[in-house]
Amino acid sequence: MLKKRLIVSLLLQNGQLVKSVGFHDYQIVGSPQIAIQFFNAWAADEIIFLDISTSCEYTDLVRKDSVFPELSSLIEIVKNSAKTCFLPLTVGGGVRTIDQMRELFLSGADKIAINTQAVRTPQLIAKAAERFGNQAIVVSIDAKRNNAGGHEVFIDHGKEATGLNVVEWVQQAEILGAGEILLNSIDQDGRLSGYDLSLIRCVASAVTIPVIALGGVGKWEHLVDGVRAGASAVSAANIFHFTEQSTRQAKKHMAEAGIDVRL
Amino acid sequence: MVHYCTKCVYPSASAFRLVFDENGICSGCRVHEDAKKINWNERKTMFKNIAEEYRNRDGSNYDCIVPVSGGKDSYFQVHYVIKVGLRPLLVTYHGNNYLPEGEYNLERMREVFDCDHIIVRPSVETLKKLNRIAFKIHGDMNWHNHAGIETVPPKIAIKFNIPLVVWGEHGSLDLSGMFSLKDRVEYTKRFRLEHAQHGFDWNNFTDEGLEEFGRSELKEGLCPQDLALWQFPSDEELMKVGMRGIYLGNFIPWDANVHVELVKKLYNWKPAETPFERTYRNFSNLDDMHENGIHDYLKFIKFGYGRGTDHACKDIRAGHMMREEGIAMVKKYDHIKPRRDLERWLVYVGMTEAEFDRICDTFRDPRVWWIKDGEWWKDTICGEASSYGKVHLSEEQQTKYKK
Amino acid sequence: MVVIIDYGMGNLFSVQNALRVLKADAVISKDPEDLKNASHIILPGVGAFPDGMKNLKASGFVEILKREVLENKKPFLGICLGMQMLASIGEEHVKTEGLGLIPGAVRSFQVPEKEFRIPHVGWNDAYPTEAGKVLFDGVDQNVFYFVHSYHFVPDDTSTVAAWCDYGECFVAAVRKDNIFGVQFHPEKSQKNGLMVLENFLKA
Repeated sequence: MLKKRLIVSLLLQNGQLVKSVGFHDYQIVGSPQIAIQFFNAWAADEIIFLDISTSCEYTDLVRKDSVFPELSSLIEIVKNSAKTCFLPLTVGGGVRTIDQMRELFLSGADKIAINTQAVRTPQLIAKAAERFGNQAIVVSIDAKRNNAGGHEVFIDHGKEATGLNVVEWVQQAEILGAGEILLNSIDQDGRLSGYDLSLIRCVASAVTIPVIALGGVGKWEHLVDGVRAGASAVSAANIFHFTEQSTRQAKKHMAEAGIDVRL
Repeated sequence: MVHYCTKCVYPSASAFRLVFDENGICSGCRVHEDAKKINWNERKTMFKNIAEEYRNRDGSNYDCIVPVSGGKDSYFQVHYVIKVGLRPLLVTYHGNNYLPEGEYNLERMREVFDCDHIIVRPSVETLKKLNRIAFKIHGDMNWHNHAGIETVPPKIAIKFNIPLVVWGEHGSLDLSGMFSLKDRVEYTKRFRLEHAQHGFDWNNFTDEGLEEFGRSELKEGLCPQDLALWQFPSDEELMKVGMRGIYLGNFIPWDANVHVELVKKLYNWKPAETPFERTYRNFSNLDDMHENGIHDYLKFIKFGYGRGTDHACKDIRAGHMMREEGIAMVKKYDHIKPRRDLERWLVYVGMTEAEFDRICDTFRDPRVWWIKDGEWWKDTICGEASSYGKVHLSEEQQTKYKK
Repeated sequence: MVVIIDYGMGNLFSVQNALRVLKADAVISKDPEDLKNASHIILPGVGAFPDGMKNLKASGFVEILKREVLENKKPFLGICLGMQMLASIGEEHVKTEGLGLIPGAVRSFQVPEKEFRIPHVGWNDAYPTEAGKVLFDGVDQNVFYFVHSYHFVPDDTSTVAAWCDYGECFVAAVRKDNIFGVQFHPEKSQKNGLMVLENFLKA
């Protein structure tokens, strides 16, 4: 049977791997090249690269005396990763045009994630799905709780409120041809207190395409909760950097909890 | 353009990857501030629970391994682990760079703590070769030390089937705020390769490895067996033993100044008798004279700062020093070329000072340094640029540094 | 020499990387003439069936491909959409004629939605048949990475090299003489996938 997936989300700022709290505080963890090497060996099911670069200059002065080359464009990172990592690679962050997508696919990406541009010009989802196949298009959504008990969609690194209700947006994305939804909770980001389970539940029940949960994992049990809330795949961007053979340990825990995962 | 933290004195071009917030405060300072919000009693209980989980049940083995160098932190770690009721095996990687006081402190550990102690001493010939190759290929003669300290205790853990390894503080968390205390980050093979070893591993130093790397002129006849000590256990071995490395710094508040007073009082721990040339502290890095000496000088060569900055930042964050004082330390110490340990090292590895200077200069970061009138220049924390000595590069090598 | 057909669709780079790790001499080619010197031919594919066929026809590969595969019996591997295009007809978006190298049709999954979300994406178990002996020989764990919304239903079930289960039983791999196809991505299935590619190279 189809296994539940454990996906490592790698956040990139100017080529550096970062961890994130509340879409606001970032800490540099290292380089993507080494991360890929280890997650490839540690039973991860997929990798997602999310380029969340802005114009921060602090990463411009990162040391350049390590053995591996410093790569600072997303294309270079994808090409380099595809050389050594025989795992599916989803790439997102700042993807605006069909040409950009094509270049990323040719560099080794298997799926593309679009977020801000998908909200600004929803027809991009349809165009991309038609051109590359809907299974290659992931619509990435950053959501925050609103006062009405629901969730609102935010774009531009969580800075701009759209007024869109997450359920309406996710249903529109599915109709337009999205293959999967990457659902990130801004409230839970970096809090280590678990996913926003109500967010996962309402989105998973609103669509028939797979939903990948992201945002808030602090212990392996949260991944189990995410699957039980309806996610087809569970992801995290911070916690996998903290412990030895992290993803392998996480999957062991999930298997012990009765979840069918690839070990 | 290099800029500085507004709270401590770290530059933005640093050996660790700093992030600055909108107030210009670095991630190291931010993480340090968070320490005040941690419930340390809860953390101490967590440590006790981990200790209980890993305690040996049948009397056939130790409860844990404590990697020790003989330094003030080592003493403190063993002191605490014993207080909690664990019986540790002490493990040391001896890189052959000990100061006499460091050697003294190391040797007495088994007596002072009534513990078994394994000191692993690599072949001196192999160490000299690693010193030379690593200096030329990476600008760090102490690669063997960073790698050895992180590899030997895990190897012993696997060989002796002792799962729990209790490290001290997480260096990157402490200096640059790579992680938060909330993360309770643990030891990983990945961190070791990427940050302790900068991606270089033992196989980069063999003849075959250097050939593949395109640096066959650096070959020193090393083969894999020569470097067995630096070969990390496999994932399978780690899983079989269930090795888990935890950082004591995640469970108790960490202050070097507090530790040193405690270990001096309780155990007669000795600080350095002669002041270091590149820092005002006399209680750090007695296990490796080059850590405060030429290894740290290379940090200045590469990034434009040194131990004066590191120690000032730690003390500013701990509330023992004001920023102005820290700036004074930076101005006094960062640029010093340390004569004592440099002279020792040149004889040790058989190199001239001219060759040393020439190789050093190839590692200067052009985003920090530039050349003017045959001298090296960089910006300083005071705002103006300053010159720091003669250039030892060919005309061609100098081009990327000319403004 | 393994020729990976570049017709504007497919993660060519990943396939080539995988073959390089297996020490195969693999080239990506836009020139149909290159197939004449190929020892093995690979047709990757990511995207929709109609687009795939349109691009393949426009690339000029179809005639030479058919000749090299059917007459010269060169080992051929279709990956994902590349396997689906072996069919006589595809029903994705609009009915489109395929290469017809293995008669059959490409259909959508008939499964309860939400319980079986489409696309079928992730790691799933493959069950090799007798016809799958060559491709799956020595594979440690028959778990591979799938990402597709349609699947191939060959007319002759003796061409099925492996089955998979996703609410309904569907074809994970096919084989007809020198023609192989895998619905999953061997270049993205770590060491199990690399083993399948290695087995193909030995064919």
